[in-house]
Amino acid sequence: MELVVRKTDLLRELQLFQGIVERKNTIPILANVLIEAGGDEVKMLATDLEVGLRSKCPASVAKGGSLTLPAKKLYEIVKALPDTDVRIEQDRNGVKVAADRFDSRMQTLPKEDFPTLPEATGTASATLPRDVLRQMVSKTQFAITGEDTRYFLNGALFILRPDSMGLVSTDGHRLALISVPRDKGKAKSRPEEEVRVILPRKTLLELGRLLADGDGDIQYERGDNHLFFDIGGRLLISRMIDGQFPAFERVIPKSNDKRVEFDRDRLTAAVKRVALLSNERSRAVKFQMDKGKVEIASSSPEFGEAKETVMVDYSAAPVTICFNAQYILDFLSVVETDSVGLEFKDEMSQAVLKPVGAEGYDYTYVIMPMRV
Amino acid sequence: MDSVLKRILHVDMDAFYASVEQRDNPSLRGRPVAVGGDPAHRGVVAAASYEARQFGVRSAIPMARAVRLCPSLVIVPPDFRRYTVVSRAVFEIFHAVTSLVEPLSLDEAYLDVTDNAWGETLGTVVAQRLKSEIHATTGLTASAGVAPNKFLAKIASGWKKPDGLTVIAPERVEQFLHKLPVDALWGVGPVTAGRLRERGIARLIDVRTVDDAVLRAAVGSQADWLRQLADGHDDRPVVPNRSAKSSGTENTFSNDLTDLTQIRAEIDEMARDGAAWLERKGLVCRTVTIKVRYSDFSTITRSHTALPATRHADEIAARATMLLERSEAGRRPVRLLGVSVHNLMDPSAEPDGDPGLPFSGPDEE
Repeated sequence: MELVVRKTDLLRELQLFQGIVERKNTIPILANVLIEAGGDEVKMLATDLEVGLRSKCPASVAKGGSLTLPAKKLYEIVKALPDTDVRIEQDRNGVKVAADRFDSRMQTLPKEDFPTLPEATGTASATLPRDVLRQMVSKTQFAITGEDTRYFLNGALFILRPDSMGLVSTDGHRLALISVPRDKGKAKSRPEEEVRVILPRKTLLELGRLLADGDGDIQYERGDNHLFFDIGGRLLISRMIDGQFPAFERVIPKSNDKRVEFDRDRLTAAVKRVALLSNERSRAVKFQMDKGKVEIASSSPEFGEAKETVMVDYSAAPVTICFNAQYILDFLSVVETDSVGLEFKDEMSQAVLKPVGAEGYDYTYVIMPMRV
Repeated sequence: MDSVLKRILHVDMDAFYASVEQRDNPSLRGRPVAVGGDPAHRGVVAAASYEARQFGVRSAIPMARAVRLCPSLVIVPPDFRRYTVVSRAVFEIFHAVTSLVEPLSLDEAYLDVTDNAWGETLGTVVAQRLKSEIHATTGLTASAGVAPNKFLAKIASGWKKPDGLTVIAPERVEQFLHKLPVDALWGVGPVTAGRLRERGIARLIDVRTVDDAVLRAAVGSQADWLRQLADGHDDRPVVPNRSAKSSGTENTFSNDLTDLTQIRAEIDEMARDGAAWLERKGLVCRTVTIKVRYSDFSTITRSHTALPATRHADEIAARATMLLERSEAGRRPVRLLGVSVHNLMDPSAEPDGDPGLPFSGPDEE
């Protein structure tokens, strides 16, 4: 194989692979990117067996072929090169990566070891608007539990209905649900029924990254065990998480009869300040709702206590609810509306935060109160 | 003597696992059934139905021997999840009468009913009511012993089985002790019993008159304890939720495991046992540990600690199987697997954290 590619083109693509490749290095080949040269382009593929990315960029190919190189090291090298053409060439002694006066020889691993990933058929199950999908990902991804818990919570539930789509995530303590109506004009082929799949956390993360820049809609296709997202020519391939997503409808409260509306910036600032003196482990802050005001208070056994009063429109019975400050701040940092509403019943039942006046989507954030 | 006489119950489900199997599968009723492992793979009998016991099949004997004793034996692989569900129902009945319930296993517990929620003054009546409630709820029978202390209650419950009820009233303790052979005692196995008999101690009351040195030579440090029992004394209280520090399950496999799916399934099951134990003890854990012994006997452990503490079976199972990825299980053959739960705490004493979203709770009205 022998090819020449522009540094900026190659770097842009290699950067996208950095989140994909296996970091733990348990299977050496998964740290590599498969590079295939042919025609007038170079194709790249990397995977950690959960998520895979296929991408390409223009290149002048002198001799077609394929090989694998360590994704991280190759990225570091290309990044450090001057803005010029990069030559990648395989000969009997190994793989040469060169540019300008720089010359290097890199270790390769047999391309035969590279795992085979399923192919998309190219017939999209649905077309998803880029901005909408990006919004959905950013508003749910933070509530997915980290590693090591109930594995079905290591992902978000994607719900595709003929007239709407939704994404739900939860770590068992709070739950984020966003639902967006689907534009009827744009549909090519519509699923007749509701489709529910669990997307791994990493898929969401990479999806968020790939959606960040560029434009054009996303072609979504569902395979047997995999999902495919075609994002402007880059294909994100994701394993589906096998398992039963919890019955999230059950924890969305229907009998919350009290409500407070906050100015988002004011609430954010108050919670941040008060949380500085919250118990470091629990991060508990107390919301004391009373006539016309909410007092947000905290106390830490080591450092002391804090409170701040926010004036609000409230006339129902006084209620004190304790929340994890981080859960509140997570929500506040992803909504854009000027006001947010807190709906609740009592100090034990799930409370709901919602943006006020959000247009084009419905966002519900459920938090389980802490025991006081 | 004790200032206040206690009323202690020992309740033991009859042939528990086997009875659950016979209850749930009518074709097993009336037939000799053994719950346990495959005889071809060094399996052991975990429980034998009363029909099987007539052939001499007992729990803890090798399944291969059980089959020789009873060629018509029906072998059923254990399904601990189902037993746990039944066990929970039984313990709920126990807890309805007193909070002083000390579980010994899935199917066995001590209850102190000196004060009880039913306001019954007779331990016998409490035992009868418990037995009939257990039968009404689970369709299974239990045997119960009623006595002034744990040691006598335990012996009493085994006196008549199945569906038995034996009462040792305080005034009849002495008479009862007189006919009690030493091997009826819990903790006195055949070897110890043999050593005692060699020294002329056949009945428990013989312990009273034997020379201290002789007794010590036979049972070592247990001598003082045995003397107390011989006098009918046992002042151990019924302790709900003994303060255990951890609980674990280990399995050695007859053939080394290499199939990761099977390894995961084994870990999953052991983790769920751990969760069931936490459930019974009313505790939650922060740490889950797995143990893997490879075929070359090298052994590793991997732990994961997280907050909030949990006893959620799915979560503990997921954490345990996740830990497998930090081992070489499967890539290297595995001889033994274990899962344990540590860093236990009483959730009611844990002020931090929330109880979690009620996914499995009742629907909102």
